[in-house]
Amino acid sequence: MAAGPATRLAVDIGGTFTDLVSLREGRIGLEKTLSTPGRFEDGVMTALGAANLSGFGFLAHGTTVIINALTERTGASTALITTRGCRDVLEIGRANRPDLYNMRYAKPVPFVPRRLRFEVTERMNYKGQVLTPLDEDELRRVVDEVRAADAEAVAVCFLHSYANPAHERRAAEIVRESWPEVPVSASYELTAEWREFQRTSTTVLDAYVKPVARSYLSRLAGRLSEAGVPERGRYAMQSNGGVSGFSVASRAPLNLVESGPVGGVIGAAELGRRIGEGNIVTLDIGGTTAKSSLVENAALTITSDYHVERTDRYAGYPIKLPIVDIVEIGAGGGSIAWFDEGGALKVGPRSAGAEPGPACYGQGGAEPTVTDANLVAGRLDADYFLGGRLTLDVDAARRALRPIAERLNVSVADAALGVIRIANGNMAQLLRRISVRRGRDLRDFAIVAFGGGGAMHATALARELGARRVIVPVAPGHFSAWGMLAADLRHDLVQTHLANADTVDMAELNRVWGSMADQLTATFADEGIAASELTFVRAADMRYAGQEHTVNNVRIPGGALTEDDRRAILDEFAEEHERLYAFRLEGTPAEIVNCRLTAYGAVEKPPVPPIEAGGPEAARKGRREVDFDELGRREASVYERERLGAGATVPGPAVVEEPAATTLVFPDQTAVVDDVGNLIVEMEVAR
Amino acid sequence: MTAVGVNDRPTVDPFTVEVIKDALVAISDEMFIAFGRTAMSTVIYEVLDYACGLIDTEGRIITQGNGVTGFLGTLTFAARQTLEKFGRANLREGDVLIVNDPYYGGGTHLSDVSLVVPIFYDDELVAFAASKGHWTEVGGKDPGSWTTDAVEVFQEGLQFPCVKLFDGGEPNQAVIDMIEANVRLPTLTLGDMYAQAGAMRLGQRRFVEMCDKYGWPTVHAAIEDALDYGERMTRLELAKLPDGVYEAEDFVDDDGIGNGPFPIKVEITIEGDEITFDFTGTHPQVPGPVNCTTTSLHSGVRTIVKAITSPEIPVNEGCFRPVKIVCPPRTIFTAERPAPVSTYWETMDQVTDLAWKALAPVVPDRLPAGHFLSVCGVVVAGNHPDTGELFLLVEPQAGGWGAAVDRDGEQGLMCVGDGETYVIPIEVAEARYGITVLQFGFDTEAPYGAGQFRGGRGCIRDYRAETDLTITATFGRHKFPPWGIDGGSGGSPNELRILREDGTVEVYGKCARVPLKKGEIARLVTGSGGGWGDPLHRPVEKVLDDVRDGYISIETADRDYRVVVDPKTLTVIGSSGKRRERSGATG
Repeated sequence: MAAGPATRLAVDIGGTFTDLVSLREGRIGLEKTLSTPGRFEDGVMTALGAANLSGFGFLAHGTTVIINALTERTGASTALITTRGCRDVLEIGRANRPDLYNMRYAKPVPFVPRRLRFEVTERMNYKGQVLTPLDEDELRRVVDEVRAADAEAVAVCFLHSYANPAHERRAAEIVRESWPEVPVSASYELTAEWREFQRTSTTVLDAYVKPVARSYLSRLAGRLSEAGVPERGRYAMQSNGGVSGFSVASRAPLNLVESGPVGGVIGAAELGRRIGEGNIVTLDIGGTTAKSSLVENAALTITSDYHVERTDRYAGYPIKLPIVDIVEIGAGGGSIAWFDEGGALKVGPRSAGAEPGPACYGQGGAEPTVTDANLVAGRLDADYFLGGRLTLDVDAARRALRPIAERLNVSVADAALGVIRIANGNMAQLLRRISVRRGRDLRDFAIVAFGGGGAMHATALARELGARRVIVPVAPGHFSAWGMLAADLRHDLVQTHLANADTVDMAELNRVWGSMADQLTATFADEGIAASELTFVRAADMRYAGQEHTVNNVRIPGGALTEDDRRAILDEFAEEHERLYAFRLEGTPAEIVNCRLTAYGAVEKPPVPPIEAGGPEAARKGRREVDFDELGRREASVYERERLGAGATVPGPAVVEEPAATTLVFPDQTAVVDDVGNLIVEMEVAR
Repeated sequence: MTAVGVNDRPTVDPFTVEVIKDALVAISDEMFIAFGRTAMSTVIYEVLDYACGLIDTEGRIITQGNGVTGFLGTLTFAARQTLEKFGRANLREGDVLIVNDPYYGGGTHLSDVSLVVPIFYDDELVAFAASKGHWTEVGGKDPGSWTTDAVEVFQEGLQFPCVKLFDGGEPNQAVIDMIEANVRLPTLTLGDMYAQAGAMRLGQRRFVEMCDKYGWPTVHAAIEDALDYGERMTRLELAKLPDGVYEAEDFVDDDGIGNGPFPIKVEITIEGDEITFDFTGTHPQVPGPVNCTTTSLHSGVRTIVKAITSPEIPVNEGCFRPVKIVCPPRTIFTAERPAPVSTYWETMDQVTDLAWKALAPVVPDRLPAGHFLSVCGVVVAGNHPDTGELFLLVEPQAGGWGAAVDRDGEQGLMCVGDGETYVIPIEVAEARYGITVLQFGFDTEAPYGAGQFRGGRGCIRDYRAETDLTITATFGRHKFPPWGIDGGSGGSPNELRILREDGTVEVYGKCARVPLKKGEIARLVTGSGGGWGDPLHRPVEKVLDDVRDGYISIETADRDYRVVVDPKTLTVIGSSGKRRERSGATG
């Protein structure tokens, strides 16, 4: 990638706001404009206009267009062509009933109705051997039927294509030859993992979003041309935590499904690299949700168990693509506190959102929210919300909380604290799910907090969970877009390849990874990146013989694997198994199930300019009483973050405020500003 | 902060109580996930035929993570048996107890093995982590242990009469060696055992961490609060139901060895916020292995109680305080030793279905018409053509559900006895089990529950043998198909068809070790669900949609709905006068 003096940009389009971060000659610029649903590309242009920049070299773009097309069901009318006997695989799914005692459970409705699901004669076995050749004449007749049915996109998924994609490849060719205009997705182009329902679902969803995605990206490309962003410099944020050129992204747009939320996770990893913090839990709290992801040894955590719309009570739609593992719950500043019928106090998932917003916004909201509770507890400043743009109404917040206080026979202040405690309890469960449930100990991790509410809750959660420190980055409201600027070019492959890890011939594994490397090199070549610029990282999904589920992403050494590597691989697997599940099975052979390969093309990372040194005194704005839960109501010093210099040390109890966020420093914590302005809150060791 | 007192225990603020309650649920969930992720048996990791939970020292469920409905409440009894047999004094840190007694100790059948781990805090016994899982192999006369023609429990596998598998953290090698010697696939069985024990240890660790954080008295108070809350929620919902006496009768097909059908009965009384289920009049226990025992009767009832009250709140013992169950001893629902019980689940699920049938007209917003009901369990055994090693394919089937008062039935969904249970992917099944799956789709030929809202379609799954195999199967509701409501017709029966080389077809409801030669086909057919309401009230567009999607044929559209569809254009060309009259009548 050419460095040069060109302007680098990241544009993160969310449902409400479009965030822009620009970088020119070492200077960072921030913009926030309203999104323009329906024509999101207009919002991009508005943000660009507001930033008043030129000479663009690189633009990374995060978008919700793909996930919106899925959740709002606005994608293309899609047809499926599959192996004879498998027409209903997509609709039967796994047949599970996650809502056990609900006798009216409704299964996910398939994205392709039965009348658009077609079978053709062909068959492979699990070894990839042809049992029945593809009937090409029959397929051509099926394509005619699909056309006659007015389908707008076609998905092709055959049994065992992970083992041998020949039939699928040929079928996709025939569809494209006989109907060149129609977008086609074949499963082998997306994933080489077994389990036909998940693969079919992935393929169908990719085809379903393809017309929408292509149309959006081409409209945006047109506008970016007008703005002077060169074709080679346009990149889309993928769910795997890397960017890819618009043209490659258009081939399999489902890779953009979590395009938005990954930015902050990449940002956290990048921030961690700079300050020597390899193990991070991210905490991204907005008005409605809290999201968390794990960064370990400076690497993002990738899941292969992603489902659109899945909840504890609903099966959702599987997508077998590499996606950054982000867990989300309905807990944010706008989350509403309420009593259920049995009298238990709950917080969320219902949210007051931006309209009417919390009661204290004074926009007609009457129900008590987490923000109202934070205000009553003195944790938020009524006069400095969004930098003073909105004055919060403390009386309205108290009024909203009063019914809770009366019902539980406690003071309004205690009710506020109780709501915070339950909200923090929900958020603590979120952080446990992403860490403890994956065998990680939060004491080995730092929390990177961003979004409007991350900093407000992170320091309490760190105390509760024993995390070492909390890092609030500069401009936490733009952190996700900043992270996109730091994203590498990245592509991933997964290949199901069953092998006994104790006995497999290493040459066989070298062949598998070698052929995957060739594929990825070719993809990068299409983006103008030479093989010499790529970095490859291998991993494997492994299990003990007899198990079904695998321990995913076991590290595999690079280079040509030799006998010496075998022990290392087996040890790595056994350690990870024990970490996750509290035991190992000595003497039981281990198996490799999936081989994974990631290739990175590095981009220039955004510099972060150092800030001037200075103590806290200049930043002190005043004092106020703040409720620090079991540490009591205490007089706390209040600081303006922008005026804190590098090296400034703020002992708790204190509050550090900035327009986009408020950080609470508990009496047993100390905040320090590092040389680039990150606010780092640590527990006091000797206390 | 003002606090609430619980009995004579220390006072705890209501907010901390909520946080601890959620954390208790999270512990059960974590145990549940860990067991499933590490187990060796498909019945555990795909079918999720297991449950994990926390039990208090009085034997009450605090929280329970379930994969299937069937184990609802059974962990209680395993913990109680542990306490009764050993007493607190003889339990210590690091103990793991193993129990599968079907007639006591929360037993269901011998394949379901419970492990119980006492949890100590400051040397005090404070709770148990307990779990129950279906091990694929526990010995007995047939591969896979459960079978359809056992006549006494001794044929159904090894019995574990609540003994220490680990004693103070040390494995009881004698017991482990006995298991190893008495099962057909010892690696698999012991693999499941270690996975289950590992999951219990995780639960134990989390519980202790929670006590470290909040103190045991606070945790204890939160547990009492959670139980009271469960009771309160259930009573609130029961109070909303109309008081009255509701009855249903049905039949268990047969017992697998030539006896049956067996009548079963329930009389349900709802009075205020309490509910009583009386099964008096149900057939006595039978010679074949379809009997279930008291634990399963309770589970079957609890499932329907959850369904009609509060399916969304976490399960605990309190939810069942307003429930009374009456049934004489030694019936098909309350069998006693040594009656065979290895396919008990079929009958347990009929307990749920029987109560469901009685209550569906009363609680139409919670209960649809009858569904295919049977787990349709199969055991396919043989030697893998690649490796020559013994394999056992043990799996449930997906089928059709009944229509609800306001919508069509679900198609291709696990039965009520299963839950977060998955069908085995074709690609995985072919690699592992020496079969080729020739088709897996909806059975659009069978009769189905026609109605204003129609029953969901069942499935057909064809296994072609790639080596010589045997197949054991238990497909209930083979003789008495799913029931419809309010003018909707009934569904279709479940059955196993064997397609022989010579072209003959054998049809079974239950069968044991039927040989299947290489190249022959086992066709697994599950039933469709019952319909709801008069078919002639079904809108013409919906009938046409069904024809276009191939869920019903043109002939069926005419016969059941009086809608005439042109086979060429797939458009409606007419409907009968009778339909017009009826539709007109409803406006």
